[in-house]
Amino acid sequence: MLHAARRTGLVFFPAFDWAISPSHPEREERLLYTQDQVLEEGLLDIDGIVEYRVRPAVFKDIQRVHFCVPDEAAVTTESHLISAGGCLVAADAVLKGEVESAFALVRPPGHHAMRVVHGNRGFCNINNEAVVIEYIRDRYGIGKVAVVDTDCHHGDGSQDIYWHDPNTLFISIHQDGRTLYPGSGFPGEAGGPNAQGRTVNIPLPPQTGEEGFLYVIDRLVMPLLEEFEPEMVINSAGQDNHFNDPITNMNFSARGYAALNARLKPDIAVLEGGYAVENALPYVNVGIIMAMAGMDTSCVKEPNYDSDYRSQPPEITRYIEEMVGRLRDLFLEGRLKKAPCGAGRFMERSRDIYYDTDAIHERQHETIRCCQECPGALSIASTSNRGQHVLGVHIPVTACRVCQKTGSAWFEEGRRGAYTHVYLQDRVRGVYERT
Amino acid sequence: MILGLDVGGTQTDTVLIDDGRVVAAAKTPTTEDLLATLRAALERILVGVDTARLKRMAFSTTMATNAIVEDRLDDAGMIVSAGPGMDPGWFSVGPSYHVVDGCLDHQGFEVKGLSRADVMDAASRILGDNITVLGVVSKFSVRNPSHELQAADWVGHSFSHVAMGHRVSGALNFPRRIHTTYLNAALYGIHKRFSDALVQILKEKGLTGPRYLLKPDGGTIDLAKSIQWPAQTAQSGPAASVMGALALDGCKGTTLVLDVGGTTTDMSVVLDGTPLLTPLGIRLGPFQTLIRSLMTHSLGLGGDSEVLGQRDGTLKIGPVRKGRPAGMGGPAPTPTDAMITLGLLKTGDGSAARAAMEKAGKAAGWDAVGTAERVLQRMAQIIAASAGAFVHDINARPVYTIHEVLEDRRIEPTSVLLMGGPAAQIAGYVGKAFGLPCRFPRHHGVANAIGAAVARVTSEITLQADTERGSVIIPEADVENGIDAGFNMEQAIALGRELLCRQAAGIGADEKAPEISITEKQVFTMIRGYARTGRNIRLKMGITPGLIPEWKRSC
Repeated sequence: MLHAARRTGLVFFPAFDWAISPSHPEREERLLYTQDQVLEEGLLDIDGIVEYRVRPAVFKDIQRVHFCVPDEAAVTTESHLISAGGCLVAADAVLKGEVESAFALVRPPGHHAMRVVHGNRGFCNINNEAVVIEYIRDRYGIGKVAVVDTDCHHGDGSQDIYWHDPNTLFISIHQDGRTLYPGSGFPGEAGGPNAQGRTVNIPLPPQTGEEGFLYVIDRLVMPLLEEFEPEMVINSAGQDNHFNDPITNMNFSARGYAALNARLKPDIAVLEGGYAVENALPYVNVGIIMAMAGMDTSCVKEPNYDSDYRSQPPEITRYIEEMVGRLRDLFLEGRLKKAPCGAGRFMERSRDIYYDTDAIHERQHETIRCCQECPGALSIASTSNRGQHVLGVHIPVTACRVCQKTGSAWFEEGRRGAYTHVYLQDRVRGVYERT
Repeated sequence: MILGLDVGGTQTDTVLIDDGRVVAAAKTPTTEDLLATLRAALERILVGVDTARLKRMAFSTTMATNAIVEDRLDDAGMIVSAGPGMDPGWFSVGPSYHVVDGCLDHQGFEVKGLSRADVMDAASRILGDNITVLGVVSKFSVRNPSHELQAADWVGHSFSHVAMGHRVSGALNFPRRIHTTYLNAALYGIHKRFSDALVQILKEKGLTGPRYLLKPDGGTIDLAKSIQWPAQTAQSGPAASVMGALALDGCKGTTLVLDVGGTTTDMSVVLDGTPLLTPLGIRLGPFQTLIRSLMTHSLGLGGDSEVLGQRDGTLKIGPVRKGRPAGMGGPAPTPTDAMITLGLLKTGDGSAARAAMEKAGKAAGWDAVGTAERVLQRMAQIIAASAGAFVHDINARPVYTIHEVLEDRRIEPTSVLLMGGPAAQIAGYVGKAFGLPCRFPRHHGVANAIGAAVARVTSEITLQADTERGSVIIPEADVENGIDAGFNMEQAIALGRELLCRQAAGIGADEKAPEISITEKQVFTMIRGYARTGRNIRLKMGITPGLIPEWKRSC
């Protein structure tokens, strides 16, 4: 019998009875062939690979993270709750010490879901990683967490939720936003006033291959993690950087994903995108599971690897090396220009957000209290073309007294305002209210 | 009249059933010589019986199990083709294991043709090792058996027997397919010699009716047909016990069946008369297999387990068995001694049993009767705790659809059925420990032989239709047919039923309309880009383990 060098948990939830729509990439059989490959390889018979049964998340798990408009029931389906709940099962398995790491191979994905949720963006409604982070902060007292998002699309939802949180390091490696949805994720996006440098975006050019990704991991991601010293590392394990993926332009491979995982050694990996359901996902997922279990992955490759994989052109290598050099200067050598942020001041920003799947236009106006003691009280006024005009007040889990008071005052004031709904997300007291 | 025989670790049980009722039962000591044991057991039960009236006979033997556990397998050569994934060298089994070039993908499409040169070379090396049985296995052969068939076609004529992976099971699991195929090849000669000798004995005794062997899934297979699938007859003992429970009790509701033996207690769950099956297959010695099996759990605690009294007033019982109970001349106190001490069992040497109980309770300051009482309470508690964990594990099995998560169907036993020697003596204790009604059937001492006698033939098929590839495949039946784009689930079920019944008839089934259960039924629309390119239908169906119509429950 084979033994895993590292005990690894697997939460597999293919949701064989759920699709966004009949011909949508996020449909029933997305993980069918992955299941076939995982079963045929006999991975679940390996001593040290433990499969867990999913459980649905509850609304409270969602409320720690999101302002759902008008409420949780309206923007989630059972599949979203089960997918998020599957990630919680993975987190429990790791934090109870049953396994060293765990992979939540669940759908639907979540990393495009922002703090305010009016509907579906980029196939996502609920941010699974954020649901995990806030759960383990409450349940296990975890503080510093790093999210490394290796999906081909910028993890704009996760970035939004942790934009102001200095205790969460968010790193996204993705195809350059000038060439792909959602069009964001540039190095200048480096975190809010209280968390400058805690968001790191690494946009890679189309055609980046195995060597480019692994170079970024070795030269940039690993040093950033070493410096930040997180208690937990979560990998948003999208699989659409693959050379067979139909909706992206990258050149990554199953063995590349396995190598990336073996270096990153995430505590929890969560599946995100990846829509080459027949000729990439089965092999990538087998590679990731084996890498997490500390097994030799040298025999894992796509059937068409030898004929279709192309290593990246030399000009791409030069471009990436040059960019990594600049990012090292900014984020590791301390050359990031920080915006002035005097304690007690309020900083504001406005932006437009588009929900591609549900065709919703949202306009946000955000106010953050600059604070040296805590991540700062945050309020978001949000208006959608569906007639919603809401105010959400977020009091972070480590909020100082002043920020707690500020948040409470905003909420009280909001209640008297002309909003359709006003939300309080008081992470200190664990109070989640909606008018 | 029907004859049933079950070879147990210490006793071989036989029963005769006439007109749906047990008319004779006997126990014979099991010796190391299996054939001699079978002969002796038959001679004992057949005294004064008109053998011409015996219409059917079924055996649950330990032949295959013992050959595996005692490592008495024949040398078998293996030719394996894999493609990407785990290194096929990791699953090496037997003295002559060869990986050859060739690859199929998960849909069954050929990625790389099977290398004829590699296969020929492997075969000649296997023959050079003086090996005459062969197993051929390809990764994903259950989606497309062509590589296995091709290899068998190229080199099979040089071997006395060729076992092929796609015929052992339709389930996906390449390592298990390799090991199951290997076992079927390596048991072929041993099983054939056993079967020939058994037939000879039966002929001598004038027994000419249909002969069956019991399988671990609680079903039977015709003795002659079992030569192709010898590994399927291994580890049938626990199944014999469950089928016996079903025959004697009916098992309505959710019944936890406990078979308390000398060394172990075997557990299983029966849902309204249908026993639970394992999702993949049974473990045989060091081998994980794809052999369908009832879901059973074995606890190292029985009537002859050693009892150790601790100073803190706790009792440790099992898993060690030192020998026979003290009251029967054994070296250590056992639960059986407790039963003797309490007068529940009128056998053995009462004073030796009491002395053993006194010894076990001495550290805690209990007398013999007080100790005996606590031993049986403790035994029941240990069994209840282990059964709780067994049921918990069954309920913790992953599910893959929203429907199943929300339905959250859990198994909660509503009663306990006790089988085995001490069933009557400990029923009260067990019922109390579980907090459930606890009963034991008549004839529970020879239930295994009854179970073997009245179990129906079972079989299983796995169907996958892929309208894009234009084929439907049922690997266990060696069937691959062309289909058109309109092939649907209804047609799949009809075809599956037909082939399942044909396959079951081929291994000895004579029932007109056996009970069939569909254990997996999925249909997916396959889409490339935004266009529908086909339909993928998956179906798994089997004949439910159950009783032959000739059996009428006699209460």
